[in-house]
Amino acid sequence: MKTKFFFIIIAFLLAFASSLFLGPTFINPLALDDTTREILVNIRAPRIIVAALMGMALGASGAVLQGILRNPLADPYILGISSGASLAAALGIIGGLSIFGTFTVPVLAFAGALITGGIVGTMGWKRGGLWPERLLLAGVGISFLFSALLMLIMSISRDEGMRRAMLWIFGDLSMSDWERVPYGLSLILCGIAMSSSRAKALNALILGDDFAHSLGFTPQKERALLFVSVGLMTGASVSLGGMIGFIGLLVPHIVRFFIGADSRSLIPASALGGGALLCIADLLGRSLLSPMELPSGIVTAIIGSPYFLYLLRRKNVLSV
Amino acid sequence: MRGCVLKRLFLGLVFFLFTINNSPFTASYAAEPPKRIISLAPNITEILFALGLGDNIVGVTSFCDYPEEAKKKPKIGGMSNPSIEAVVSLKPDIVVMTTDGNPKEFEERLRSLKIRTYVFTARRLTELPQGVRDLGTALGVKKSADKFAEDYEKTLNRLKVHNSKSVAGKKKVLFIVWPEPLIVAGPGTVIDDALQSLGAENIASGTNTAYPKYSIEEIIRRSPDMIFIGKGKGMEKVSEGLFKRLRIVPAVRNHKFFYVSDDLYRLGPRTLKGIAEISGLMDK
Repeated sequence: MKTKFFFIIIAFLLAFASSLFLGPTFINPLALDDTTREILVNIRAPRIIVAALMGMALGASGAVLQGILRNPLADPYILGISSGASLAAALGIIGGLSIFGTFTVPVLAFAGALITGGIVGTMGWKRGGLWPERLLLAGVGISFLFSALLMLIMSISRDEGMRRAMLWIFGDLSMSDWERVPYGLSLILCGIAMSSSRAKALNALILGDDFAHSLGFTPQKERALLFVSVGLMTGASVSLGGMIGFIGLLVPHIVRFFIGADSRSLIPASALGGGALLCIADLLGRSLLSPMELPSGIVTAIIGSPYFLYLLRRKNVLSV
Repeated sequence: MRGCVLKRLFLGLVFFLFTINNSPFTASYAAEPPKRIISLAPNITEILFALGLGDNIVGVTSFCDYPEEAKKKPKIGGMSNPSIEAVVSLKPDIVVMTTDGNPKEFEERLRSLKIRTYVFTARRLTELPQGVRDLGTALGVKKSADKFAEDYEKTLNRLKVHNSKSVAGKKKVLFIVWPEPLIVAGPGTVIDDALQSLGAENIASGTNTAYPKYSIEEIIRRSPDMIFIGKGKGMEKVSEGLFKRLRIVPAVRNHKFFYVSDDLYRLGPRTLKGIAEISGLMDK
């Protein structure tokens, strides 16, 4: 168990380091000139840190959500949070807004995520607490509504605005700079800490509210706390770099294959796994067609899904 | 309500005057221009206006915003999704389309409805004069089309000669269409043609997409001497972050980045103005 967790940490560090030094061209950290130093320090480093943070947020959110919703198909996007964020961001991109300068799109996206999270939370609230089925259905409903609005805007917008919005929605890490790091770092680490500290309660919730209650947890309170942590992480992640699919849904399952379903290790391990995967996906997205870039969200799903299917064939357990 | 009736009366009167004014006199010409033309692309609209066919245009796309009069024409939808009903209801004599943005199926659809179409195939800078000549012949305005093409070729040559004299060596340049996400003008675009005709080297020429999402790292590595960026609402603010990231690049270090008009985005009468603008900036 400990060794497996250690292995995941090593994998994460390897992924992080390789995407920092490899890329369209290899950068040798021991022989830097002005150009390569600028690229390494001010272009690649913040970008990879943002990629790692986003991946961590999505992986951890997925692990938490599959637990509180007791549903293996749950992911951070099923609650509609990301479609709210995308809708707000697309409005900003297509409308050419620049109220907060370079922070306009992230701020809009985060606001969109929070508002949507609030709406879904309110819909899922009944008799003094959040109910998994209600949350899930409210999320799916909101998600459909906002996606439809998003498509409506895109279909009536100018062609170039649409392409920009599409690229952002598919996941765009190229605009990450140091300014975005503290913001992402604080929100996402806060979310991960919050959910990890409730991991024991999550373990109990998975087994049922009655069971959790008998172990001394207040199911509704725990669920609300966990829901807020997911909202923070998903909102921050989408606002940093758009929608990255796959990680939130399948990384927790992949990690479960290796270390089991105990939330205490599943949440941090899913975070690390998600971070590692997004770093690698971004590395490939930057390098494969250089100097063109591929959206990381697409690469993530293309390399991740076959691996998941392979694991699914090899091991025949699939449990939340 | 009353205003509405008055407006209709007025429109009816205009239409009446328009028809009696046109039919008896122009009927005597052999190759008469079609009276009801629909344009399915902004650059075609501009070309039609430049050829003096503005009054004959009865429908344009929602992107046709130049010249001013084009904005007042009835809209038939977007470029990639024009409305077949809107087109048919305007009873066009001919629909002028482009291979650069209009769906091929739409042309087939129109032909199956027995509506005459003309497909404008010129997409590159050097293809435009011949493209306009052919279009002019098909639309019965050969004379003004030939003049347009001739002027165009002359001006283009003058700009080319001017620049081959004034610019020493090949300048490395980049044309940014949008800063976040970073989209630049790549090969096969009018912008790329324009830059090359001025003897500059577009550092994004080597990609395989017209408007690629470009790597910031690569811009730094290829260190362009000049950067052009399309003007737009709030563009200075939107591009702030990008230029901060590119501060080590010669173009940014030496303040050789310029916000330019959108004249180069369309292959039409304004393209030359756009080239002249870039040429002027390169002289600085």
